[in-house]
Amino acid sequence: MNERVTGAIRYSQDVERPNMLHAKIVRSLAAHAQITRIELPGGIPEGCVLITAADVADCRPYGCLVPDTPVLAETARYVGDPIAAVAAPDPRLAERLARAVAVEWSDLPAATDLEAALAADAPVVHDVCEVASRRGAWSGMRPIDGTNVSHRSRLIHGRGEAGFDEADVVVEGEWTTASAQHAPMEPHACLAEWAGGRLTVWTGTQTPFNLRRELATAFGLAEADVRVIAPPMGGSFGAKTFTRIEAIAAALARAAQRPVKLVLARDELFLTLNRHPTRSRVRLGATRDGRFVARRVWSWWDTGAYADTGPNVAAKGAWAAVGPYRFDHVEIDADCVYTNRPSNGAFRGYAATQAAWASEQCVDMLAERLAIDPLELRLQNVLRDGDRFATGELMHDFHVAECLEAVAREIEWDRSRAGVGLCALMKGMQTPSRAGARIELADGRLTVHAATAEIGQGPTTVLPKLAAEALGADPRLVTLAEIDTDVTPFDTRTTSSRSTHMMAGALGEAAEALRRALADELEAAPGDLRFTADGGIEIVGTPASRRPLASLPALSGEGEHVIEGGLDPDSGQGIASAHWHQGAGAVRVAVDRETGVVEIVGLAAAVYAGRVVDASRAALQNDGSVVMGIGSALYESIEFSDGQVTNANMGDYQVPAFRDVPAFAATLHELPGAEIHGLGETALPLVPAATGNALRALGLAQSHLPIHPERVLDALDRSGA
Amino acid sequence: MSIEVTLNGRPCELAAASDEMLLDVLRRAGARSVRLSCGVGACGACTVLLDGEPVSSCLLLAELARGCAIETVEGLVDDVVQRSFDELVAFQCGFCTPGMILTARHLLAENPSPTRAQVREHLNGNICRCGCYPRIEDAVLHAARTSEERR
Repeated sequence: MNERVTGAIRYSQDVERPNMLHAKIVRSLAAHAQITRIELPGGIPEGCVLITAADVADCRPYGCLVPDTPVLAETARYVGDPIAAVAAPDPRLAERLARAVAVEWSDLPAATDLEAALAADAPVVHDVCEVASRRGAWSGMRPIDGTNVSHRSRLIHGRGEAGFDEADVVVEGEWTTASAQHAPMEPHACLAEWAGGRLTVWTGTQTPFNLRRELATAFGLAEADVRVIAPPMGGSFGAKTFTRIEAIAAALARAAQRPVKLVLARDELFLTLNRHPTRSRVRLGATRDGRFVARRVWSWWDTGAYADTGPNVAAKGAWAAVGPYRFDHVEIDADCVYTNRPSNGAFRGYAATQAAWASEQCVDMLAERLAIDPLELRLQNVLRDGDRFATGELMHDFHVAECLEAVAREIEWDRSRAGVGLCALMKGMQTPSRAGARIELADGRLTVHAATAEIGQGPTTVLPKLAAEALGADPRLVTLAEIDTDVTPFDTRTTSSRSTHMMAGALGEAAEALRRALADELEAAPGDLRFTADGGIEIVGTPASRRPLASLPALSGEGEHVIEGGLDPDSGQGIASAHWHQGAGAVRVAVDRETGVVEIVGLAAAVYAGRVVDASRAALQNDGSVVMGIGSALYESIEFSDGQVTNANMGDYQVPAFRDVPAFAATLHELPGAEIHGLGETALPLVPAATGNALRALGLAQSHLPIHPERVLDALDRSGA
Repeated sequence: MSIEVTLNGRPCELAAASDEMLLDVLRRAGARSVRLSCGVGACGACTVLLDGEPVSSCLLLAELARGCAIETVEGLVDDVVQRSFDELVAFQCGFCTPGMILTARHLLAENPSPTRAQVREHLNGNICRCGCYPRIEDAVLHAARTSEERR
């Protein structure tokens, strides 16, 4: 039985080391402040440690794109910013000590939301040009001096904004989205240990190699002196990316000279990483007969106090705002903006949720203006194989039109469009990127070493299956090893639904290499080898050559899959994605006219999957995306007051439960022989945008996500219904 | 202090501080399938059966379990619900799965042939952030049918 079902699975919170201490973070109560004094009244008990910024003065700021994040802050930049940390032999003592720590500070002016951060006289969260010029900063940074804009991503196609002179009609609107929490069931947990100048960290992470690099930066180590071991995660959805709590645990372990374990409490997740709140202004121009001519978008991405992957989210948000359509002219500015809020970063749906919420509603605005069926309007303009996207890429293996037709059939678009909305979108995969894998044979077993992190999406099943397929061996002979950066080949990271696609390439090569090694051993041609059902290997046509795998010496084969590409930050031209995640959604709503409560009464999502490796697990991911999309559409919103999160618990921040999820139809469109396509995130962004268009169809258009009953009531009042 | 309980059919004494929650005490006793997630009784991940009734062990003072029979998934042997979750792959990350299985066992003990709506109602306090709800419903209904066939 699967270890998840028996309860035997061990997550990073279960890791223990002899003599370990337990840690608790001390956080800033001010949104922006200079910390002037931190002390533990009565002193630090024996066997415990307290560290502050002064204890990590030798550490360098780190960050996946911008080195702007200190291990502990001397200038606190959000309510919840780690300013000190304690470790004690008992977790309850650590918590008591953290609560007893006395802090003094002097307040600085704060910009606690996008509006405040973009004001002409806004307090500056970081000196953006200084940060962008630091060693190790992303070379694509385009900061705007003297402002909070850490990066402006631009996309220009055709004549840009000037192209609107070719349009007969122009529609324009503004949309906003709230912050959301990933809320994985398992809170972040890690354990750090130093030995002989080397740092070892056990942590649930989607990005073991990024983490290794960032920790090496922070502590002035060679990357080879940092070892990251990554147990399976109890969910992440983007929350456990890059460096989250590991640097603090490492600093405590260094001070205590003992292993230190740090497990976050639920409220701390809301202070660690969230989804970008956004504002988008979208203008769409078309000919009278509905041909899209020009699109202009300005968008602002609130990245919080530290940029994390925000500049990349804004860059993705730029082209995601184009949508899966042909345009003659496009111009987009997407600004990544610092605010005095917790950091925002990768979140399942990565920029597509916010972009589709605005851009897909703008499509329906145009349909209404031109009195053209929203389905027909989309089908008329949707990209097809051989078309060029606004980034200059030639589209291939593109099936958004089929997805649209599928959801329209499912929702019975032709029968009734009352309260029905559509959405179409495309999403990309981390490009460029690199995936390595090794298959080892030892003691009659085959082991895959690959850094695809187990989040719940199933690489423990899928990667061995791919390896077995490539080798022609029984999948039951193959297992996936735990990630250990000392032994696991390099992989960019487990994000952007890239892993099955990339690892299929790497494992194919690794299998070839292993077959060659086996062929040398058996003195045969690689193509003549055949794995037998009983765990042996033989030369085809010579049954006498059969040898049990266990009788062979240890052998291994390594492979790598590399994709090139990337976009120019000033023009948005280049290769945004090596292949496209594509989908369409349709939602039917019912609105309670007394309360404004919106109920989703019909929902169809169609996602293009190419070749599917494990149908059961692929369906689970697609379903899960829809479920999370329902939460994003209808209620998930982190609330702030003066920069402080006011609903940092799962009572006040509600995620979908059984009864919140209506019966829905989520389908994966397979094409045998096609490439494997990522499918873990595509359905999520479809749900909010299609729900928005469903309300628009009822004359109750909504500009803010999530859709709040009070705003629906306002729309009902305005409509006089 | 020491608290006498029956844990998965075996009498045992749990060492606990007077203000400690059952969750921490059970984990220390080796029941690592009992996991802290929300800490406010809103998610069901820490569910255990206390004399057959599902409780959130993150909110229950260990002291209050004195003399009770406590069940966690570590104690399940040849369990039809557990097997059904495994066969149908009614999980992704697995963090919520033990709590789901125990709550579903409680449902089937009370109502051996539930409707889908009854399954949803009964499990509504157990959150699966991976969103496996339709598959979990299928697994519980499948377990109910399997039990019925056995009878």
